[in-house]
Amino acid sequence: MRRQRRSMQLLALILGLSIIAAACGGDDDDDSGSKGEETKTQTGGDLVIGAEQFPDCMDWIASCAGSSWGSWMVSYNTMPNSFDIVKDGDDWVYETSSMMAEDPEITTEGDKQVVTYVIDDKAVWSDKTPITCADYLYTWDQIKNGDDIYDKTGYQDIESVECPDGEDGKTAVTNYSKPYAGWQQLFGGQFGIFPSHLLKGKDRAAIMANGYDFSAGPWKLDGGASGWVKDTSITLVPNENYWGKKPTLDKVTFLLQADTAAEFEAFKAGTVKAIYPQPQLDAVEEISNGIPDTGKSINADHTPNAEALWMNNAKFPFDSKAVRQAFSYSLDRDAIVEALFGGLGVTKAMNSFNQTILGDFGDPDAFAGYTQDLDKVDELMEGDGWAKGSDGIWAKGGKKAEIVFKTTAGNARRERTQELILEQAKDAGFSLKIDNQAAGDLFGDQLPKGDYTLALYAQVLTSLDPSLSSLFVSTNIPTAENEFSGQNWTRTDIPDADEPLLAVDTESDRQDRSDAQAEADKLLAEDATSLPLDPLPNIFLWSTDIVGPEEGEDNPIFGPFHDMNEWALKA
Amino acid sequence: MLTLVLRRFLISIPLLLIATFLVFWMVRSTQAFDPTARLAQSRDPSVVQNERERLGLDDPIPVQYGRWLKDAVTGDLGESQTKHEEVTSMLQRSFWNTLQLILWGALFSAVVAMIIGVYSAVKQYSIGDYVFTSLTYIGIAMPPFVFGLLAIAYLAVWPKQTWGLDKPPLEFVGLHTTGQSGLNWDYIKHLVLPVLTLTVQIVASWTRYQRAATLDVLSSDYVRTARAKGVPRRKVIIKHAVRNSLIPLVTVMAVDIGLLFGGLLITEQIFSIPGMGRLFLNALQTGDAPVILGYILVAGVFVVLFNLIADVMYGVLDPRVRLS
Repeated sequence: MRRQRRSMQLLALILGLSIIAAACGGDDDDDSGSKGEETKTQTGGDLVIGAEQFPDCMDWIASCAGSSWGSWMVSYNTMPNSFDIVKDGDDWVYETSSMMAEDPEITTEGDKQVVTYVIDDKAVWSDKTPITCADYLYTWDQIKNGDDIYDKTGYQDIESVECPDGEDGKTAVTNYSKPYAGWQQLFGGQFGIFPSHLLKGKDRAAIMANGYDFSAGPWKLDGGASGWVKDTSITLVPNENYWGKKPTLDKVTFLLQADTAAEFEAFKAGTVKAIYPQPQLDAVEEISNGIPDTGKSINADHTPNAEALWMNNAKFPFDSKAVRQAFSYSLDRDAIVEALFGGLGVTKAMNSFNQTILGDFGDPDAFAGYTQDLDKVDELMEGDGWAKGSDGIWAKGGKKAEIVFKTTAGNARRERTQELILEQAKDAGFSLKIDNQAAGDLFGDQLPKGDYTLALYAQVLTSLDPSLSSLFVSTNIPTAENEFSGQNWTRTDIPDADEPLLAVDTESDRQDRSDAQAEADKLLAEDATSLPLDPLPNIFLWSTDIVGPEEGEDNPIFGPFHDMNEWALKA
Repeated sequence: MLTLVLRRFLISIPLLLIATFLVFWMVRSTQAFDPTARLAQSRDPSVVQNERERLGLDDPIPVQYGRWLKDAVTGDLGESQTKHEEVTSMLQRSFWNTLQLILWGALFSAVVAMIIGVYSAVKQYSIGDYVFTSLTYIGIAMPPFVFGLLAIAYLAVWPKQTWGLDKPPLEFVGLHTTGQSGLNWDYIKHLVLPVLTLTVQIVASWTRYQRAATLDVLSSDYVRTARAKGVPRRKVIIKHAVRNSLIPLVTVMAVDIGLLFGGLLITEQIFSIPGMGRLFLNALQTGDAPVILGYILVAGVFVVLFNLIADVMYGVLDPRVRLS
C-alpha cells in the first residue's frame, strides 16, 4: 500500500512537472523574427538601418544613378511603379500595383504591341496632384530622348505614348514598334514614374540629383534634399498623402557604413537595427558565430545574382569546345559553394545562368551534368589531342593548358573562390594563373576587348525579366567595328542558340519564353560556353526590436526595405 | 621671414601644377580608373559611349587637363563626374570632417606625448619608463584598423552587451547622432574612438621623439650648470628642459599634421566619417578626375603650408636659428 502511494505521488510529480514545462516552454526561438505570436508594437518611433553604399545621385534615370542601394532605400519607397514584385507561393512574380485601377492590358498584332495603363483615381503625388497620363508621357520622353540616361532598353521600342482622355486623364496607351517581352519592368522598376507637373520644362537632373521633396510612395525624404546628408545619412519620413498603407514609424534613417566589420559591430551594439551585408567571408563568419536577438533572412533560392566562370570562347585554350567541357568536368562546384557559403546553409551550385529568382524559367538544371569527373576530363582532352606533361599539366602542340584567371581585385570572397578552383583545376591538369584587376579595368576594358581567358564575376538582375540574349547572342560580340559595345564578352557563337535567345525578348507568353530559354540553355550547356557557379545569397539581418520583416521574405529585386511602411517597433 | 614665406609660396605653384598634371595623366591613361566602368554591365550598349562623350574622355589628356585648369585658376574646381555635385562643396564637407579629427587628434597626441616623453626621460630606466616604452613600441607596430576594430569591440560593444546598456558608452558611427550637431556630449562620445585610433601611432612616435629630445637636453651643460647653481629640479625640467626639447618635436608635429590633411582613410572608413581620405578613395575607384585633382590641390597646399609652419616654428623656438 505504501509502495503504491509512493508510486502515485511520483506519477503526480512527473505529471505536474510536465505541465509546468509545457507552460513555460513553447516557441523561444526569438532568432527567427517570425510573427508567431502577436507582438505588442508601439506607434511611431525612429529606426536606424546600416547601409553599405549610397547612390551617387537620386536622378534615377541618369547614368549617375544605377545604384542598387539607391533603389532599395529611396527609389522604391518614393517613386510609383506600375507593377510590384511579390511572392506567390515559392515564386516571385509581377503583380499590378495599387497605383493601377486594373491590370494593364497588352495586345499584340503582328509586329505591334500596345499596352494600356489605367491609373487609379486615388493615386496621387505627395502634393495631392493626381498621377496621370502626363506622367507616363513625360517619363517615356525623358528616358527615350534624354541625354545621360542609364538604360533606355525597352523605352526605345515605344514609338509613342497616347493619352486618349487628355494628359490629365487616367489612361495611358503605349505603342511599341516591336514586341517587347519585358514591358512589365517599364514605367516603374528602378526608374519609377516621374511627376510631369513638377519637372516638365525644367532641369530634371538639377531638381532630383541631390534629393527631391516629392513622392508617390509611403515615404519621402525628410525635408527634401536636406534628408540626404551626403556620405552620412538618408532620412525618410512618412508621406502623409500616400493612398496605401501609411507607415507606423515616424522616421527611418539609413547610416552609411562602408566597412563590413564595423557594420556588424554597429549592429551588435544596437546603433543600427538592421543591415543588408554583402555575402563576404567576414559576414558569413559573423552570422555563423551567431548574433543574439537577431532575425535573419538568408536567401539563395530566390536571388537576382548569378556568379559564374566566364570563359573566353575565342581564346586558347577555351577556343576548343572539348577543353571547355573538360574544364567544366574538372570542378566540384557544390564543394566550392559549400566552402564559401556553407555557414549560411547554402551548399548547392547553380546549374543555369538564369538567376534563381526566375524559378523554373528555362532549364534550371541545364548544367547539372557538369560534376567533377576526372576520367571524363581525360577522355575529352585526349580526344582533342592533348597529353599530360611530366608536370601533370595538359599540353598540345607545345602549348600548355595555362589559363589566366581574372576577377575584381580586393574582393576577399572571390579571391577565396579562385584558390578553391585553382586547386581542383590543377588536379585535373589545368594550370591557372591568377591576375586580378581593378573593377574599372576589368569591366571597362579587358572583358569587352577579350583580354582575358577565364573570369569570375556576377550578373545581377534588376527586374524579373531574364537578360541572357545580351550575353550570348552572337551579334552582341564586341568587336573593333562596333567599338566593343556588345555584352557577349565570352564571344559565344552558337548560331542555333540565337533564335531562341532572341525569342525570350519578344514572346509575350511567359511559357513560350521559358520554353525558348530552355532550348537555349540546353545548347549553351552542350557547348559549355561558360559555367554557372553560385547564387550570391541575399542576407538581411534585423534586430528583434523590429516587428515586420520575416524570414525568407526580403524582396530580391525591391530589396528588404520596400515594405517598411508595415514595420513597427516592439512596445 | 617674409622672404621665406614668399619663396615657399612661389615654389609651391609649379609643384602643385606638376603634381596635379602627373596624377591626372596617370588616372586618365589607366583603365583601372575609368569613370565609365560602372556602366559596363548596363544592358544598353550605347550608355558607355554616351558617357565618354559627355565627359570628353576621348580628347587628348593635355586637352582634358587644360579644360580643368582653365576653370581651376578662377576658383572653379568643376563638378564631380559621377555625383553631379560641385567639387568645392564636396571638398569643404570632407575637409571639415578631417580637420576636426586632426585638431582633436593633434591636441591629444601633443599633450600625451609631451607628458609621457618628459616623464620617461626624467625617470629613465624606471619601471614607468619601461612600461611606457613598451606601450609606445606596441603603438607604433599596431595597425590602425586593428586598433580601431578592437576599440569598437571592447570599449563600445562589450560594455553595452555586458552591462545591458541601452546604448554603447562610446559611439563609433560618424561624428554625431543623426539630427544632432555642435560641441556637446554626443559629439564627444563620437569623437573618442576615432581620435584614439588615429593617434595610437602618432602618440607612440611623438613620445619617442620627446623622450629622446628631453634626454638630450637634460644631459646638456646648461642644465647641469643650472642644477649646480641650486635651481630646483622641477624648475629646471619645466623651464629649461621642456622648452628646449620641444624644438625637434614641434617640427615633427608640423610635418605630420600636414600629411594628415591628406586624409585618415582607415579611421574614416572604420568610423564612417566622410573625410578627405574616403573622398579620395571613392574618387580614385570611380576615376572621378575633378575630385581627385581638387583633393591633390588641397592636400598639397596643406603639406606645403605645414612644412612652412615647421620651419617658422623652428626659428621661433630657437633664437640661434633666427639669428643665423
